[in-house]
Amino acid sequence: MDFETIFPFAQLAAKIAFVVGLALGVVPIMVWFERRGAAWMQGRVGPNRVGPFGLLQPLADVIKFFHKEDFTPRNANKFYYYLAPMMALIAPLCAMSVIPFGSHIVVEGKTVVLQIAEMDAGVLFILAFAGLEVYPIILAGWASRNKYSVLGALRGSSQIVSYEISMGLSLLSMLIVYGSVNPHDMVAWQSENWWGFLMNPFGALVFWISIFAETNRLPFDLPEGESELVAGYHLEYGAMKFALFFMAEYVAMIMASALISTLFFGGYGILPGMQMLIDMIVNHFGFSAVGAQNTLAAFQVLSLVSKVAFFMFMFVWVRWTLPRFRFDQLMDLGWKILFPLSLINLVVVTLAVYYFNS
Amino acid sequence: MSPVLVILAAISAILAITMLFAKNPITSAMCLLGVLIMTAGMYGMIGEHLVATIQLVVYAGAIMVLFIFSIMLLNLNTEETDYKDKPMVFAGALALGVAAFAGIGTAIWNHFQAGEVVTKGQFSAEVVKNLGGNTKVLSHSLFTQYFVSFEVISLALLVAVVGAVVLAKRKFD
Repeated sequence: MDFETIFPFAQLAAKIAFVVGLALGVVPIMVWFERRGAAWMQGRVGPNRVGPFGLLQPLADVIKFFHKEDFTPRNANKFYYYLAPMMALIAPLCAMSVIPFGSHIVVEGKTVVLQIAEMDAGVLFILAFAGLEVYPIILAGWASRNKYSVLGALRGSSQIVSYEISMGLSLLSMLIVYGSVNPHDMVAWQSENWWGFLMNPFGALVFWISIFAETNRLPFDLPEGESELVAGYHLEYGAMKFALFFMAEYVAMIMASALISTLFFGGYGILPGMQMLIDMIVNHFGFSAVGAQNTLAAFQVLSLVSKVAFFMFMFVWVRWTLPRFRFDQLMDLGWKILFPLSLINLVVVTLAVYYFNS
Repeated sequence: MSPVLVILAAISAILAITMLFAKNPITSAMCLLGVLIMTAGMYGMIGEHLVATIQLVVYAGAIMVLFIFSIMLLNLNTEETDYKDKPMVFAGALALGVAAFAGIGTAIWNHFQAGEVVTKGQFSAEVVKNLGGNTKVLSHSLFTQYFVSFEVISLALLVAVVGAVVLAKRKFD
């Protein structure tokens, strides 16, 4: 195997390892931040015993998960009971493959585009996997043979199916603004003009609210509302099977944050002021054009990561600020407010784009 | 043919057979879901990313959710109809299935005998690539050349939705 044959596979494997490693590696940090952030917002102390600032707490949690009894309910449908947590993690990880985390880098004279799957359908592919996120919830609830689980599964699936519509419509309005489904084109458009949310604030708002429902986060975490359903669809899951659902929730949050950053907040486009820093570094070390491009790509990755971090912080912030909705309120919000709003927004955006382009 | 395509085809064939012979309706539905996902994978492997995406959004993401929902809510645990007492029905279904399989098999065999892939019409692979990819070409022809038929189909779907609501409402009133 010479370099020419091995290079495409090697760069693809490296990109997959980078994205999956980053997504799964952020989970323990987020768990720590969720608990410390919650304590901080509520004027408590939070976990502070294990390691400095309680930073090793997630590690202790993982050890606990591994050592718990791997329990299966007697009446559960075994196959689907084990299948559901696996499916839960697959869908958001697959969706991550279309999100670009930088323009391109140059390695050994070859261009490597910083996006796992460069496909023709682009952002639409994410919608495909957002639709598949319903299955683990239905299967987990059904296979556990528990009334609370079934109720949680019904709530979860109807909520995801309902909010997918307004999410898809607001995504559609942005596709009309950019005139493309390719995320690289979207980022380029936003770098040349303004960030997407300034062009389409209602679309951004509807999209942002919808991703809370899609990821089952508070204030829309009714599928697992503790006060009513104990733990909802993953009630009968313990040990690492529960941990998989837990990880899937955080990976879905990262995916949603990356998606909203790419669509509405400039994606990997560098943050204001970074260009000066890049010029300074390039001049200081005397980089060639290749080195300058690679430095730019590093800062693009940094920009996207900081945007994603901001939205992850928003997830935690909203969770500890707003109380949980009632289920009928949730459905009313989805069907009677967000759906018409996103539909009207789509028509307005279409007319505006037609007017400005002609 | 790429080996991945063969693997996907083999998995989808196994899933399809499991779907036919499964006792549990949920297993059948999940196998059908697997077949749909594998088909999407095959579309993706031959470079038709938009078709693969639409396959996942429409069939795997929407229609199969409805199937599984109704199976779960109606609590269909085992197959109720027993075909053992109806040999004529079974034989008829078997004959139809064999005929359909033979027809499709002959078509595929002839296609492979022909050697190269022949695209009928103006949109060959190079033309589509030069025009900016499948998504662009498909959307453009859908909203210009086939605009009227596209809207008529949407109207037909709307009629179906309204009809279903009317029928359901009459039953519940």
